[in-house]
Amino acid sequence: MAREERETETSAAAKVSSWPLFVALGLAVGEVGVVMAIYPLAIGGLVLFAGSIAGILTEAGYTERPWRTLTALSGVFVALGLIVVVTQTGTSVGAIESALASTDTIVLRGFSIVGAGIVALAASIAGGSVTDAGPAA
Amino acid sequence: MAGEQLALTVLMGVFLVGVATLVSRMENLRAYTPLVSGDAGYGDSTATSHKPSGLIRWLTTVDHKDIGILYGIYATIAFVWGGLAVMLMRVELTTPALNVLGGTGTYNGLLTSHGITMLFLFGTPIIAAFSNYFIPLLIGADDMAFPRINGIAFWLLPPAALLIWAGFFLDPLTGGAVGAAETSWTMYTPLSAEQANPGVDLMLLGLHLSGISATMGAINFIVTIFTERSPDVNWANLDIFSWTILTQSALILFAFPLLGSALIMLLLDRNFQTAFFAVDGGSPILWQHLFWFFGHPEVYILVLPPMGLVSWILPKFSGRKLFGYKFVIYSTLAIGVLSFGVWAHHMFSSGIDPRIRASFMAVSLAIAIPSAVKTFNWIATMWNGNIRLTAPMLFCIGFVANFVIGGITGVFLAAIPVNLVLHDTYYVVGHFHWIVMGMIAFAGFGAIYYWFPIVTGKMYQKRLAKMHFWISEIGVAVTFFAMLLLGYLGMPRRYATYEFNGLIAPLAQVTTLHQVATIGAFIIMLGQLIWVWNLTQSYLEGPVVEDEDPWNLKETGQYSREFEWFGEQLDTTDEDTPTLAADGSGEPSDD
Repeated sequence: MAREERETETSAAAKVSSWPLFVALGLAVGEVGVVMAIYPLAIGGLVLFAGSIAGILTEAGYTERPWRTLTALSGVFVALGLIVVVTQTGTSVGAIESALASTDTIVLRGFSIVGAGIVALAASIAGGSVTDAGPAA
Repeated sequence: MAGEQLALTVLMGVFLVGVATLVSRMENLRAYTPLVSGDAGYGDSTATSHKPSGLIRWLTTVDHKDIGILYGIYATIAFVWGGLAVMLMRVELTTPALNVLGGTGTYNGLLTSHGITMLFLFGTPIIAAFSNYFIPLLIGADDMAFPRINGIAFWLLPPAALLIWAGFFLDPLTGGAVGAAETSWTMYTPLSAEQANPGVDLMLLGLHLSGISATMGAINFIVTIFTERSPDVNWANLDIFSWTILTQSALILFAFPLLGSALIMLLLDRNFQTAFFAVDGGSPILWQHLFWFFGHPEVYILVLPPMGLVSWILPKFSGRKLFGYKFVIYSTLAIGVLSFGVWAHHMFSSGIDPRIRASFMAVSLAIAIPSAVKTFNWIATMWNGNIRLTAPMLFCIGFVANFVIGGITGVFLAAIPVNLVLHDTYYVVGHFHWIVMGMIAFAGFGAIYYWFPIVTGKMYQKRLAKMHFWISEIGVAVTFFAMLLLGYLGMPRRYATYEFNGLIAPLAQVTTLHQVATIGAFIIMLGQLIWVWNLTQSYLEGPVVEDEDPWNLKETGQYSREFEWFGEQLDTTDEDTPTLAADGSGEPSDD
């Protein structure tokens, strides 16, 4: 039964999708941004990547709406970014706070991943509470 | 600096807004041109008529045939890039001194780019072009199991190529601050870890993306072949090409993630101050182990599907079924398994334990057995057959002949004593070029000609195709025999110049052989120009194929699924439309 449904869905939607291009582009730009320490590319690329993953999963019918996936991915980015920062600063909160002013590129790269997570989180909140809320009364 | 970052941030923001707008527009587009509900399988011409038009169609397609065509075009562009790079190198090598290229660094950059481009950006994608287009047709599937993942896998490749080639573009823009990577395709540490050039990072990132792409494709093919077969296709009658793609996909699944991990470790060493491959850390030899544990299976990732193509096409023009079908499959599987046990034969002269060396020599020599099984089966298939020397058949026969030379020179190299003498000489270069150009590219050409009518609905120019074969075969023989001889004379590989002391090698003979190799390379280039011309002109102006069996396969009972599908397409194609709806060339009709 479930397989039948999936097959129908695949046949109906199989020929065109706008998302694969952007999943690939987001990953490529994000990777270059993080490794080459070009922070705007890191944040923009990762946001595009997370957004496209949320979009493609919704389109394929794995999720109802994209926002929860986006929230989960933003959590992953914040956690990953913090891990990178912590490798350089140690785990004390004070050290992490003072690292905000750091010029160390590894710390900054970590923060750029955290930043991408925060932007994705904002997008997911906006999407869930504004886009899905329907027209303003 | 802050200004630059700000400008980039604004640009990135504008780009993201642009993407959001574009995506919302495309979503609308899908809403008002719904695809046919229910069955959109083959033979249903409306399924392909509802694709968006123009560029948007190609940017958004997840149809396996369209993606196959995209892979093919991409691989051809990469082939041109890699070919031009090597022509510059060959011209430089006509004289011992450096007098064509600006410096040895340029030569090193071209060398690196040529190797990586041909293996990762031409070899793997050209195989994916055939498998994407034809595996679903051959096994009777509607499409790949994961069409969107198929799309992602392809779209990772253009950024990968741009990153791998980035050093060449950025060199003039940055005044030499970012240059082409000079690591060679093997990226051996400590050289690759210590070159400060950011172009190396960009290349590693690009390579990493191409690895992700290959892995996604492999997962897709494994699932497709296991779960999407038509009910009448079972393991006993699964076609030989699908078998090789299945084996190749398994190899990719085990090999490419390892390359990805090793590349990330190298990137971390370069940018995040780790010490995986440092002399006082994990050791540079660790890189060689990790790289070749990927690198040798990569050889079979590249060669098994072409072997499958030849096993598929060669019987069609021999008028006989493939001799020993089962044993060809068994040897494919055997090669697949053994390929993971031979990696250290690339490291015989690196000072590893001699006992380990001996075991790797034994396994490497053992691979000759399944390889020879295949060769004898191809020859036995042709034996007493009704051979028709069409262009695809010529390339298949050339493939077998070149494999004998490329393969046997490989057996010599697998023997430790011979290897220690010939290691890092042109003999090795000659050996693997007989394989990659003489086999992999030749099988690709053969398959392109064989399936040209299906993909384009047109027929190629047969005379030009045969000229392409003969010129290429002569070029291959001239170029790569010269390289084998250069290796015997002790000419080391990877050098831009060879003004060495006459006591090391006879300089006059070495110079002559280099010149012969360069002439051979020009002959090969001439052949490929004819190929590109033939395909382009035939696609635009060639005669429309109206016969569902253009190769007369029905006579020998070898009419197969992909041509059956082609026949169905011919039946359903509008007579006014000169090319097939499925070929990816026609504008979508409104019916």
